[in-house]
Amino acid sequence: MKISLNEIKKYVQIPQNTSDQDLIDLIGSRLVEIEEVIDLAPRYQGCYVAKVVNCEPIPDTHLHLCQIDAGEHNNEFNQLDNGLVQVVCGAPNVHAGMLAVWITPGSIVPETYGNENFKLSVRKLRGYESNGMLAGADELGFDTEHKAIAEIDPKTAQLGDALSDVFDLNDLILDVENKSLTHRPDCFGLIGFAREVAGILGVKFQEPSVFADLDKANLTVSGEVKLDVQITDDELCPRYSCTVFDLPKNSPSKYLTSEAVFLAKAGMRAIDPIVDLTNILMLQTGQPLHAFDYDKLVQVGDSATPKIIVRAAQDGENLQLLDGKTIACTSDDILITSNNVPVALAGAMGGKNTEVDVSTKRIVLESATFSLYRLRKTQMAHGIFSEAITRFTKGQPAAITLPVLAEAVRQLGVQPLASADDYPSKTSVNVVNITTSSINGLLGTDYDEKTIIETLDNVGFRVKSGATLEVTVPGWRTDVHLPEDIIEEVGRLLGYDNIAMVLPTKPLLEPEIDSMVRLKRELREILSSRLGMHELLTYSFVHRDLIAKVGKDPEDCYQIVNSISPDLQCFRSEIVPSLLDKTRENLKAGHKSFTLYEMNQVARKSSGLTAENTPVTKTHLGIVDTSDFYTLKAKILAMFAELKIPVEYAALSSETAKHHPYLEPKRSAELFLDGQNIGAFGEVKTRVLSQFKLEAPITASEISLEQLATTPRVLQTQVRLSRFPAVERDLTLKVSHDMPFGRIATALQDGLDQQNLYYTLSPVSIYQATPDADTKNLSFHLKFSSPSQTLNASEISAIMDKIAKDLSSVGATIV
Amino acid sequence: MSNLEKLRAELKQLNSEYTKIKTLPPEERGEFGRMMNQKKQKLLSEIERAEADAESVAVEPLDISAPAAPNQPLPVIQRGTKHPLMVELDRVIEVYSAMGFDVMESRQLDDEFHMFDSLNFPAGHPARDGYDTFRTSEGFIPPAHTSTMQHRALRKYKSKLEQGGQIAVVIPGRVFRNEDADATHEHTFYQCEGVFVSKDATMGQLFGILRQFFEGYYGQKLELKTQPGYFPFTEPSAEFLIEKPACLGGKGYLEMGGCGMIHPNVLKMADIDPEKYHGFAWGGGIDRLAMLKYGLSDVRYFESGKLDFLEEF
Repeated sequence: MKISLNEIKKYVQIPQNTSDQDLIDLIGSRLVEIEEVIDLAPRYQGCYVAKVVNCEPIPDTHLHLCQIDAGEHNNEFNQLDNGLVQVVCGAPNVHAGMLAVWITPGSIVPETYGNENFKLSVRKLRGYESNGMLAGADELGFDTEHKAIAEIDPKTAQLGDALSDVFDLNDLILDVENKSLTHRPDCFGLIGFAREVAGILGVKFQEPSVFADLDKANLTVSGEVKLDVQITDDELCPRYSCTVFDLPKNSPSKYLTSEAVFLAKAGMRAIDPIVDLTNILMLQTGQPLHAFDYDKLVQVGDSATPKIIVRAAQDGENLQLLDGKTIACTSDDILITSNNVPVALAGAMGGKNTEVDVSTKRIVLESATFSLYRLRKTQMAHGIFSEAITRFTKGQPAAITLPVLAEAVRQLGVQPLASADDYPSKTSVNVVNITTSSINGLLGTDYDEKTIIETLDNVGFRVKSGATLEVTVPGWRTDVHLPEDIIEEVGRLLGYDNIAMVLPTKPLLEPEIDSMVRLKRELREILSSRLGMHELLTYSFVHRDLIAKVGKDPEDCYQIVNSISPDLQCFRSEIVPSLLDKTRENLKAGHKSFTLYEMNQVARKSSGLTAENTPVTKTHLGIVDTSDFYTLKAKILAMFAELKIPVEYAALSSETAKHHPYLEPKRSAELFLDGQNIGAFGEVKTRVLSQFKLEAPITASEISLEQLATTPRVLQTQVRLSRFPAVERDLTLKVSHDMPFGRIATALQDGLDQQNLYYTLSPVSIYQATPDADTKNLSFHLKFSSPSQTLNASEISAIMDKIAKDLSSVGATIV
Repeated sequence: MSNLEKLRAELKQLNSEYTKIKTLPPEERGEFGRMMNQKKQKLLSEIERAEADAESVAVEPLDISAPAAPNQPLPVIQRGTKHPLMVELDRVIEVYSAMGFDVMESRQLDDEFHMFDSLNFPAGHPARDGYDTFRTSEGFIPPAHTSTMQHRALRKYKSKLEQGGQIAVVIPGRVFRNEDADATHEHTFYQCEGVFVSKDATMGQLFGILRQFFEGYYGQKLELKTQPGYFPFTEPSAEFLIEKPACLGGKGYLEMGGCGMIHPNVLKMADIDPEKYHGFAWGGGIDRLAMLKYGLSDVRYFESGKLDFLEEF
C-alpha cells in the first residue's frame, strides 16, 4: 500500500523538530514495516506549467509547431526572438491559449523515472527544433493510456509554475508492507494511518468529521423513492448501508485534476467523477463504496423499486462482472442481488448488468462490510485482487459504513432520495478493563497511569481511570478485544525500543538437548571431519520418478497437492535417491571420487500416524559413495566405532532387501542394533545405476537414526595395556576358497578371549592364487601380552598351539 | 685421505699415546693426563663437526614447492565438508544451549492444528494465506514456520512451570513455503524458534534474550531494535532487527525475525493459565545468518548438492 506523507500531514500537525526522516523512522519502528520510500520531487524536476502561445500545424503531418511560454524558465533554454520556446507536439488537443505541462530538455520523463530514465533533449522533428515536450497525463505517471496532452486549469495554476507546486508533488510516498497490518483494517485508510502517526508522535489526533461521532451519522432523505435492503444472514454481511440520489450533471473535467494526482500517488487511476470520489473516500477512510445504476438495478430485479437482497451464492450461479468476464460462483461467494437476481459479487466486483455509464441518471451507492473469510475465498476462487477486496479481506468495521456513505453524499453535494441501513446485530460498545500494573507487568516498563491514558486517548480510545482502567474501544478498532491488545497499543505507541532490555533470572540447569540434535552434530563431526565425507542438503520434496527409479513405491510417499512444480510432488521416503541424483551431477562437474551424505527427515504412509495423528517421520542418514563395498563398509564401521555404539552386520536378508530395493542383495549387508535392523549398505544395482546414468561401482547406505539417537554409548571401562613385553606374530591361514573371512576371524578371537591375554588382531591380506583355486590364504598380524607376567618361550608356544587347535576346528591350517 | 679419516687416525694415535701414562712417574701422570685429555676433547669436537659436514653433503634437498617427489604418486587427503547451513544451525544451538535453553527438533510434516489452530489463527483467516503452505492429499502440512512446534513445546515442558521453573526452549528445523525459488527465495529453508514462559516474563526480557543471543553469536556488543509486526500467536508482536556487526562490515540494521508475547489463547490451548504465566516466542531464519556470514548472494546454493559450492567453505 502506498501512503503519501503529505496527505498524512494534512491530518496531523508534525512537530517542528521532527524531520521527514525522523517521522519515517518512527512509522517504521512503531506502526508498519516500510518497504520503500519514493521521493517524488526529483521525478518532477524540470516539469513546468507553460502556456501555448502560438500553435500552427506542420503541413502533411499530425504535428503542431508550438511556441510556449513558461515565464522565467524560458531563458534557461533556446529562446526564439520573441522570448518564447519552440516545441513540436503531436497531440490532437494542443491549441493556442491552453496551459500545458512542459518537460524541459535535460529532464527525465517522469513515467520512466527510476526505470529507463528517458532523458529529453533539444532535437529536430521534421526539420523543426523541439525543446523537450508537452506531456500527457500518462507521461507524467498519472494515467495508463495516452489520450492527449494534459491541460491545466488556469484557475489552479499560472504559466511558469513548477508542476510539483501545483499538484503537491514534493512528496514522499511510503510503500508499506500490508502483511504487518493484516489485523488493522482502520490503517488501510489515510485517516486511520494518520491517527496512528499522531499516536506515535504523542499528539492527540483531531478526528475528521466523518469519524468524529460514528453513531450520529445519518442521511437526511427527501423524496418518495422506496429502497429495501435485506441481509439474509449477518454472518455474510454484518452491515449494508446504501442511498439513492440523482447524479449531478457535471461532466468530467477536461483538466488534469488534483484528484487524478491523489489517486496516482496511491497507485490508482482517475476514471470518472463518481468512481473517483468513491475511490478517494476509500483511500481516505478504508471503506470501499460501490455505485449501481439505479434504473438498471430496478429493471434487472423486475421490481417497481430497488429491492436489494444480500445472500450466499449458489454453486454454479453465473454473473457477468464489470470487466466482462462471466464467473461461475461457489457457495462461499456472497452476492448482492436485485430482488434475487445477482448484480454484484460482494466485496469483489460489480455486475455488468448494473454498470454506471454515460446514460446513468440515478445512482444507488453501497457502503457495506462482508465476511472477510468468505471474501478471502472469493478472492482466491476468482483471482480478484482489487484495492477494494484488499481492504474487505481485513474485515472492514461495520461501524463506519453509514458515516462514510454520509460523507460521500456530503462531498458530492447531492440530495439523497432514499437510504437504507441494515445492521442486524449491531455490535455493542467494546470495553476492556485493564490495570496499569498488568500493562507494565507484561511489557517490563514503568509507565504511569497518566502516560498510558494519554497514549490511548490520542488514538481515539476513551479511558476512565480508577482502580482498573475502563478502556472504551473506538468503533473502527475491530482488532481490540483483550487486555493484551491494549498492552500492545501502549507498548507500540510509546515505542518497544524504549523498553529496558533485561535478562530473566533462571536456575543453573543443564539444558536438555534433543538426542537427535546431538547425534546429528556428532555424526557431522565424524563423517565430515574424520572420514572425509561431504554433507549435502537436498529437497524434502522429490519427483515421483526419482522414488520409482530406485524401485520404491511413490504411492507410499505423502503427495503434495499444490506444489509449484512436478519436481516437488512427493515428500521423500528415503534420502539415497536424492544423493544418487547429486552424484551424477557432481561427477559431471568433474569430481571423481567422493562420498556424499545427508541427515534429514523422511516419511512413509506405510509407517502410519503418531499418537497425535500426524505422519510418522524418521530421521535417516543417507550415504552414497563412488567406491566399492569394502571401502563403504570400512567407513560405516569406523563411524559406529567412533560413536561407540556396537552394531552388527549380516548379509542382506530378503525382507530387508525389499526396503532397499536399489541394493544388490549379493553384494550388500544390513545393520543391526540390539538385534533390530536399522539400515543397510552395499553396492547399488547396475539396473538402478543406469537409470541415474551412473556407472559401477557406486555404493549406498540408508540408516535410520531414530534408535541410534537414544542408544546409550559403550563407555570403555578398562584400559587393556600390559606393562609386560608384547609378542608379535604373523599368522597366515590356509582355508577353503569359500570359507567366510568372518568365521575364521571370529574363531581366532573366541580362542584368544579364552586365554588370559591382552591382544590385538589385525587382518593383513587375503590371497587367492587364481579365481578358481580351491584354497585361499588369510593373513593376520597378532600382538599379545600377558597382564601379569613376561611370557617365556614355552608359554608362547603353548598359546600358539592353542590357536592352531582352535583354527583347525574350523578348517584352517597355519601355513 | 679425507679430513674426517685424518682426524680419526689422529684420535687413534692419541689413544695409543695415552697408554704411555702407565710408564710415567706418578707425579707427572696428572699433568700428562690433563694435556692428553684436552687434545682429545679438541679432536672429538673436530670429528663431530666433520661428521656433521659429511652427513649434510650426503642429504638430498627436497623441492618443497612440489606436491610430490619425482615419479611418486600424489598424496591423497580426503577432505570432507560440513554443510555451511548445518554448521550455522549447530552454532545457533550452541549459543542458545550455553544460555540454558533446551533444544527440541521441529517436524517436517505436520497438521493444520499445530501449524495454525493451536497458534490462534481463526479458521479460514486470511492470515493463513501469508504462509503459502504446501499441503498433502490428506491435508497434512509441511510446516511453513517452526512455530508449528510451539504447542508441543508448551505441553512438553509445562511441568517445569508447575515445579516453579520456566519453559526455555529453542526449536530448529526445516520449513517450507510454496513459492518460486529465486536468488533470495527458497521453498525449503531453516528456522529456529524460541519459546520462554515464566511467572513474570516481560517484553523487556524478550528483547534482552534476543540481544544476548546475537551478542553471543557474533561475539560483540550489539544494538537491537524493533518494528511492528503482526502474528496471530503473539500479542504484542514485533519484528526485530540487529545492528550490523563489525564482522559483517557494520553500519545499518539487519532484519532478523519476528517475536512477541505469546497470545493468551495459545497458552490456554496448551492448558497453561495465562493469568498465572506469561511467555514470549521468537523465530528467525538460519539461511539468512549463513548468507550474511559467507556473503552469499543466492540462497539456492544451499540445497543445490554441488560439491563445488561445499568446497568453498
